[in-house]
Amino acid sequence: MPEEVQTNDQPENREAKEPQIGVYICHCGGNISDVVDVQTVAEEVKKIPAVKVARTNMFMCSDPGQEMILEDLEKESLDGVVVASCSPKLHELTFRNALKRGNHNPYLYEHANIREQVSWAHHGDPAGATNKAIRLIAAAVAKAVRLEPLKPIRVEAFPHAVVIGGGVSGLTAARKLSKQGLGVTLIEKSPYLGGQTAQLNQVYPTEEKAEDLLRMLVEEVVDDSNIKIYTGAEVVAATGTIGDFVVRVRNVPGDTSAKGIGLIEKKVVFRPFQGCTVRSDRPCSPGDELEVRCGVVIIATGFKHYEPRSGEYSYGESPRVITLPDLIKLLSPDGPTGGRLEIQGHPVRDVALIHCVGSRQVDGIHEPQPDGRVNSYCSRVCCTATLQAANEIKDRFPHVNVYEFYRDIRAYGRGHEDYYEKASGKGVLFFRYTPDSPPLVEKTGPNASRPLKVRVRDTLTFGEDLEAPVDLVVLSVGMMPNDISDLVDVFKLPVGTDRFLQEVHPKLRPVEMAVNGLLLAGTSQGPRDITESCASAAAAASKAAIALGKGYVELEPFVAQVDPARCDGCGLCLNECSYEGALRLTDIEIEGKVERKALVNAPLCMGCGSCAAVCPHRAINVSGWTLDQFDSMVDAIAAQ
Amino acid sequence: MNTQTIQCDALVVGGGIGGLTSALELADQGYQVAVVEREASIGGVMIALSKVFPTLDCASCITTPRMAAAAHHPNIEILTCTEVKSITRDGRLFAANLMKKPRYVDEKLCIGCRQCEYVCPVDVPHEFEGGLGARKAIYVPFATAIPQKAVLDAENCMLCGSCEKVCPSQAVDYFQRPEEIKVQAKSVVLATGFQLLPKDSKKEYSPPGSLNILSALQMERLLSPHGPYGRVIRPSDGKVPDSIAYVQCAGSRDKSLGIPYCSRVCCMYAIKQAMLLSGALPLADVTIYYMDIRAFGKGYEEFYENAKAMGIQFVKAKVARIAEDEEHNLNVRVELMEEDGRVEERAHDLVVLSLGMVPGCNPEEFVPVMRDDDGFVKCASPKTAPALTDQPGILVAGTAAGPKDIVDTIAKAGAAAMEAANYMRGLELDLSAVTEAVTGEEERAAERAAS
Ligand SMILES: Cc1cc2nc3c(=O)[nH]c(=O)nc-3n(C[C@H](O)[C@H](O)[C@H](O)COP(=O)(O)OP(=O)(O)OC[C@H]3O[C@@H](n4cnc5c(N)ncnc54)[C@H](O)[C@@H]3O)c2cc1C
Ligand SMILES: Cc1cc2nc3c(=O)[nH]c(=O)nc-3n(C[C@H](O)[C@H](O)[C@H](O)COP(=O)(O)OP(=O)(O)OC[C@H]3O[C@@H](n4cnc5c(N)ncnc54)[C@H](O)[C@@H]3O)c2cc1C
Repeated sequence: MPEEVQTNDQPENREAKEPQIGVYICHCGGNISDVVDVQTVAEEVKKIPAVKVARTNMFMCSDPGQEMILEDLEKESLDGVVVASCSPKLHELTFRNALKRGNHNPYLYEHANIREQVSWAHHGDPAGATNKAIRLIAAAVAKAVRLEPLKPIRVEAFPHAVVIGGGVSGLTAARKLSKQGLGVTLIEKSPYLGGQTAQLNQVYPTEEKAEDLLRMLVEEVVDDSNIKIYTGAEVVAATGTIGDFVVRVRNVPGDTSAKGIGLIEKKVVFRPFQGCTVRSDRPCSPGDELEVRCGVVIIATGFKHYEPRSGEYSYGESPRVITLPDLIKLLSPDGPTGGRLEIQGHPVRDVALIHCVGSRQVDGIHEPQPDGRVNSYCSRVCCTATLQAANEIKDRFPHVNVYEFYRDIRAYGRGHEDYYEKASGKGVLFFRYTPDSPPLVEKTGPNASRPLKVRVRDTLTFGEDLEAPVDLVVLSVGMMPNDISDLVDVFKLPVGTDRFLQEVHPKLRPVEMAVNGLLLAGTSQGPRDITESCASAAAAASKAAIALGKGYVELEPFVAQVDPARCDGCGLCLNECSYEGALRLTDIEIEGKVERKALVNAPLCMGCGSCAAVCPHRAINVSGWTLDQFDSMVDAIAAQ
Repeated sequence: MNTQTIQCDALVVGGGIGGLTSALELADQGYQVAVVEREASIGGVMIALSKVFPTLDCASCITTPRMAAAAHHPNIEILTCTEVKSITRDGRLFAANLMKKPRYVDEKLCIGCRQCEYVCPVDVPHEFEGGLGARKAIYVPFATAIPQKAVLDAENCMLCGSCEKVCPSQAVDYFQRPEEIKVQAKSVVLATGFQLLPKDSKKEYSPPGSLNILSALQMERLLSPHGPYGRVIRPSDGKVPDSIAYVQCAGSRDKSLGIPYCSRVCCMYAIKQAMLLSGALPLADVTIYYMDIRAFGKGYEEFYENAKAMGIQFVKAKVARIAEDEEHNLNVRVELMEEDGRVEERAHDLVVLSLGMVPGCNPEEFVPVMRDDDGFVKCASPKTAPALTDQPGILVAGTAAGPKDIVDTIAKAGAAAMEAANYMRGLELDLSAVTEAVTGEEERAAERAAS
């Protein structure tokens, strides 16, 4: 961990001359200007003494908008820039980068949000909105006057990645990174590599054997001298930030089958419905720990199947009600019946496949999970996986009747629609149900031809009540994230309302998380198939390669700074700090006297400001967000 | 003809969100990238959208920063108005022949002031606005275009000379010629995107003389805050529509058009547009005629549920035919697939066709990669390495390999960048292996000579 505390350059004396600020007000193509009178705003803002220029533009973020700022910086010798537009989340960085491009300090920039906080929030009140925009901009100008040039914090990037999870996603990410010459440590909790893909027989839409796909991936990873694999291992602690994490790994306690921590020998064995196992040449005792230093961490911890509640579609009450993963095993030559479609020792003659079990659930109809929430999301792979199974049954056992009970058939991917077409062609019958009247699975009487029947109100035939006598019911269970609450705590991972890990931006930045240096791969983020998992894993690898490739990473300089002249070493700030190692008390010598002072370790500080809030002497400030700057903003808002 | 030569690590064909993402990922890894875009601006389809599902972020707000980032990246060179003539393997490299079409405006001189646009007397339907608005014969492609440079459309120009006279930087050049550009690259990323099927592909849905049947992309423009009319009105008479219908799978999952596949985004964009319409026209009824609602992505099902709660009508039905009367009101003949399966004629003021996605171009014409039955680029390892084509060193990103939404396009573009980097790294290692082998050989020869 770098001990050195980085401080920003001593600010030049900006008080000498009143700084000149340029203000740029965005129409946002009407998003703002339809409500806010941007022309009036510009005129009013221009009256603030520190404002040298105030201009408007249709899209400040567009190239001409950015160029306008750069031109003014030169021509008008501006000392600071304020852009009033959308949320800073979207474009603060855009404008900082523009300043950087023009060789100006990117931190002499302040952003005013007049879209989310003004035009969208007050669209019924144009006059009020215009007035609010003026106040917010005045506050931003007040802050801009007091901004100081800052320098990003540079941290050496340790050229190594930790990948957590050894399914297709983790394996793919590890291999792509290693090919770029980076070291990788792959940590898998179970004794096997391959994850849920190892539970499949043939994969849609290529019908390749899952075993072949996995063996190829695992062999590449195992043969790769840049990659260390630990199976039966889990992460128990982590410290540090992007560029320099230390991850503590431990043998999974109590798992006797686990191979333990140890670099693994090169022989790969695939076991159907378990995964790839690789003999460990260095067995070790449970509880062994090791530390891995790395620059980034990729989380690829995958999914688990939704477990139907007892009684849900008679699951658990009848052995003839099974899940889709069970059916896949049953159909496999490596399965319990050697691939014969038999249940309870008898060949299956009629099978019902019920879609959306544990997916697309509706509040008030479905029973929630322990956290009180239903699985409202679509699990994305089950439709095609179910159609694939239906086709396989029809191909191999043409006399078996297959009924599918569905809500919408979501065969969206390349080659998926074919399965739907073919299933219909082969005589699979489709019934459509609505969530408020789902199919009922019931046992039949002693004289019935089949032990079970499925009743449904089929919306495709006038909402008629139909009955299908069957001897097997298969529930297409959805996906849920693996329980990784321990990792969530260790890394402070953001989790969405669907319990899957949450990306920074659901459109533009799908593999990054809000915590810098933590990346996402595969189904830990949400349901998806192997193709999509591997694509996201490779995309995550690319982000990791960017972070580690330069040898250093730059962090935002918005970190706490202690003014030693004001600090009396009371330590109140330490109690508030929630980032290990970010703040400590230390004895320093000042003019021959040893004094106790708080000291910030910049790379570990997240700039949350808790310390600044409790300091009784205003001795701590967050750079770029100082107390003086806040004061001036409040004054500016109140002054109007 | 002038010939310019560019040497780079990766050549990205297509400057949509997919191509730009691949380019940025590679450039951030330190590779030199050239992006070729046949249009006058980068941005692809995404820059023309109104808002994006499921976040309802405004599309230009999230596209422009990425466009600007690519345009200003020190490792990226962007070539607009440029077509690829051929890409061939040249030893360990790829040799590409590009043709820069004349803009009739000197890109270096043009300052994007639009004076030329203001004086040009010619009005032509604006492609960017789906033909709904007008543009001039010389024009900056759209407000957020990158580069912000005018382009002259020679087909419609009357050569009146006004633009040349008014141009403050003498950028107009009626005599510009096509330019040849040669590129040497170590790898190629195909990000040539998609197009919508033409509106008149299905004659049942395109009665002659119809004005009020729009493509989904035209509706995107109508819904844009800075769109052609600034609000949603019927093209025929400017009336605010009271009743709007969406026809789903208009050219997807339809064997009669040779498009058996699902276009993957149409359900979601129809739902999105319906929600935006409900916001813009609170009194209007919006009906979506569909086969299956495919809201499969992260947060999409919840988005669909919200739309239902907002009162948007979802009707499982097949649309047999659309007719438009003299007043340009529409009659949609639907076969209900639920209730009693009856056939009905339903009146609407405006109909939007959720048209299928077809490839943005046929790359086989210029590069030796294979296409799949669906016409999109074939993936060599579709499951575990979906960015690989059948040609080593040529990768595929975004919708060039089949319909996708933006987030899947971006993931795949990141994957393509990673594969390209892996491939180029492999080249370097091979090269050093060769050098090592050569030095080894030389050393042995020297030893032999010495003994
Ligand atoms: C019924 C069904 C059928 C399917 N059929 C197909 C198909 O035909 N074609 C297709 O493309 N896709 C199919 N899929 C989807 C496919 O299974 C997934 O896309 C794929 O398995 C996802 O891989 P992953 O690596 O993201 O996750 P996983 O396969 O779940 O792997 C995650 C790995 O991480 C490990 N892990 C979890 N937590 C930790 C931890 N804390 N520390 C360390 N390791 C941990 C797990 O043990 C596991 O090995 C199907 C899915 C289902 C449910
Ligand atoms: C009506 C509609 C609404 C949509 N709404 C949403 C939404 O809300 N959310 C969402 O996630 N997705 C949405 N989408 C999907 C989204 O548009 C695509 O996912 C995205 O645009 C794909 O990007 P791309 O880069 O792959 O392709 P494109 O955007 O098509 O870009 C390809 C680029 O390559 C260029 N090109 C093609 N061939 C050549 C060549 N030979 N030489 C040089 N250049 C070439 C093209 O000119 C183009 O600029 C919508 C799609 C439509 C049709």
